[in-house]
Amino acid sequence: MAVQAAPEQEQVATAPLLQVQGLTMSYGFGDAENKILNNLNLEVNDGEFVSIVGPSGVGKTTLLRVLSGLIRPKSGTVSVGGEAISGPHRDLAVVFQDYSRSLMPWMTTLENVAFPLQGRGVGKKERNEAAAKNLAAVGLGGQGHKYPWEMSGGMQQRVAIARALAYNAKVLLMDEPFASVDAQTRFDLEDLVIDLQSNLGVTIILVTHDIDEALYLADKVIVLAEKPATVVDVIETGFGDHRDQVETKADPRFAEARARILHRLRSH
Amino acid sequence: MGLTSQRLLAVAALLAVWQLVIWSGSLPSMTPGVPAIVTAIANAFTSALFWTSLAQTMTAAVTGWVIAVTAGTVLGLVIGSVPMLDRSTSILIDFGRSFPVLALMPVVIMLLGATAQMEIFVVSLSCLWPVLVQTIYGARRMDASVVDTARTFQIPRLLWFRRILLPSATPFISTGIRISASIAILVSVGVEVLSQTPGIGRQITLAQQAQRWDQAFAYLFFAGLVGWGIAGLLNLAEGKILKWNRQAND
Amino acid sequence: MTETALRTPPKPGPGTVSTKNASVRQAGGTFRERSRFAKALLNVLQRTWLIALVFAIWWTASANSTNIFIPSLEDILLSLRRDLSNGVIGSGASYSLTNLGAGLLLAVVVGIAGGLVLGETRRLREIVDPVIHFFRSVPQAALVPLIIGAFGIGQGPKIYTIAFACMWPVLLNTIDGVLGVEPTIRKFSKVYRIPAGLHFRRVVLPAALPQIVAGIRVALPIGITVMVVSELFAANKGLGFYILNSSATFQVPETWAGALLVGVIGYILSLLFIVFERRILSWYFKSGAK
Repeated sequence: MAVQAAPEQEQVATAPLLQVQGLTMSYGFGDAENKILNNLNLEVNDGEFVSIVGPSGVGKTTLLRVLSGLIRPKSGTVSVGGEAISGPHRDLAVVFQDYSRSLMPWMTTLENVAFPLQGRGVGKKERNEAAAKNLAAVGLGGQGHKYPWEMSGGMQQRVAIARALAYNAKVLLMDEPFASVDAQTRFDLEDLVIDLQSNLGVTIILVTHDIDEALYLADKVIVLAEKPATVVDVIETGFGDHRDQVETKADPRFAEARARILHRLRSH
Repeated sequence: MGLTSQRLLAVAALLAVWQLVIWSGSLPSMTPGVPAIVTAIANAFTSALFWTSLAQTMTAAVTGWVIAVTAGTVLGLVIGSVPMLDRSTSILIDFGRSFPVLALMPVVIMLLGATAQMEIFVVSLSCLWPVLVQTIYGARRMDASVVDTARTFQIPRLLWFRRILLPSATPFISTGIRISASIAILVSVGVEVLSQTPGIGRQITLAQQAQRWDQAFAYLFFAGLVGWGIAGLLNLAEGKILKWNRQAND
Repeated sequence: MTETALRTPPKPGPGTVSTKNASVRQAGGTFRERSRFAKALLNVLQRTWLIALVFAIWWTASANSTNIFIPSLEDILLSLRRDLSNGVIGSGASYSLTNLGAGLLLAVVVGIAGGLVLGETRRLREIVDPVIHFFRSVPQAALVPLIIGAFGIGQGPKIYTIAFACMWPVLLNTIDGVLGVEPTIRKFSKVYRIPAGLHFRRVVLPAALPQIVAGIRVALPIGITVMVVSELFAANKGLGFYILNSSATFQVPETWAGALLVGVIGYILSLLFIVFERRILSWYFKSGAK
């Protein structure tokens, strides 16, 4: 990946692709104010795979909704390519946990994947080609005529990933994308995402409560804890591009990092 | 014995009871017996007047119904997807849906005369409410995940309306369409009975006034048959169009 | 929908897609009194401004109407007030509503009884199914001239027409409700050898009640419509007669007033029905069963 290394260094020298500064989020007012996120700062570079890990209920989903522009923070900014966002953004695509409900049951899988492109005014032929290509990329070539409800949960999540890829955004935001599938499917999907990321060079931010998943997938793991949530640790995993469900997880650095994260989460 | 023959037997039993009651003399003397009704039904088949009246009733019913479905769906989607509008219109819509539109007949006749346009107007006003109410209900129930998905992909307003809001509300809209179809027949016949606008309803009244009870019953039979057929057709269409809904919810 | 909203426990913190709503609702609960009052006021305004606007437009637009068929709203309301206070409308309304009540009651009794029997006996249900669907497809308004022609313009024929028209939705919904009774509850009833009468009365009927009530809700507007039509067709009493008589004697404001009054009565009856429904089905709404 020497080709990518050079621009990455340049990026670091200028500005990160996605930057979060002083992000604070709360619901309600006055006495009833419920603070969820407190003064969060994050940086994600171009081509990087970042996991955000934290216990259930810490505010991960809220953070992801802020990052994707679905809700506005109380204070602080989210910038993409140096530009603060004010709502959903062209360069951000989201894969939701609830795949079965985020795919439209009245559209075929091909139509589902092509739909965001239709929204952008891409012609029918072109968007269908793009959809077919991306379905093939997630291992669902030739299955575009099927409806989501004719597919298994894992396949549906692949469709959701293909849809996000077809949108051709710079950053892919994934909210617990593998939380509702069985263990074996989950491993398959994790490896699929790793392959896609190294082949396509897309930047991925993945939110999960699963420490192993966070470590296995990411270049950088951001640990969220406390109430309101704040960043308590940032770990560079350093496993490189090649990962293997058995080898990587047996790596002593993996065990060490996992212990460190657990320790961080316990002590808060 | 098969189900079909048992069903036929049940119908035969019903007709026999009818005939027995006639013979027993406990119904008013002018009530026609089974043979008279059957003959009248057969005669209606070859009567040009019958087919013309049926066509007049159906034209008014279908036209009014189509207008109501179109207007109700568009209005319902807009109202149901804008909470402010939803709240503002709720009392007005509750009032409208519980308003027996046929009570307005004398007023409407004063304004529009006993014409086909008047009939269409009354039919569409009656059919509007079930479609409107069901569509609003469907539009309100948009799934939060679908809303989020559409927002993150920045789907433009019109496309969102056509490809997300409309299909997601179709299960509810189609219920409204089905309810309003039977209302369309009921109201068009009712209008004809009350205002003597041409159609089946008027023919029933005329036949009754001319003491042609057999004919009146024959027309009533056809009116029921048409309503039955339409309900069956709509059920069939709904099953086809909403295949995804049944499957997705399994 | 309101029931569901009220049932949702206030959940602080994130974790679900509905986080926003849940937290906002929670915040609403602890708001200071003043802002709660302001919110309630805003809510009332939001719900009523359109009615007020429609009323105002009608009032002003019709004030100087020269079309004799479109009297001013003021005239309509004045004649309504006059005929309300001199009892003309009152006696008509009590006649009409008695017919409606009697017809509906008859329809409910016959519909529920028939529905329970048909719901419990599969074979019989399958045999008479086409007949039922045929009868309920007969446009009820078409019966009016026949029944009145045969039996006269008295009260009885009107009640029977209303009952016939209202029976089908009650019957069909009762059948649906009986079919929808939890199999486990049926098994329980069987295992404990609940006698048939008790089984019907205390198990099947309550379990099917939500559906039955839904059927009555459908039947109510049909009943009102048939009531009005039967009186508009031929009668010497009742609200429909009031409208018809006013129109025949060219008392245009009275015609309008009568039609509007029937609408208001329809609305009030539907509101009363909601209260009745909440009451009789309180266990259903509280248990959150769907």
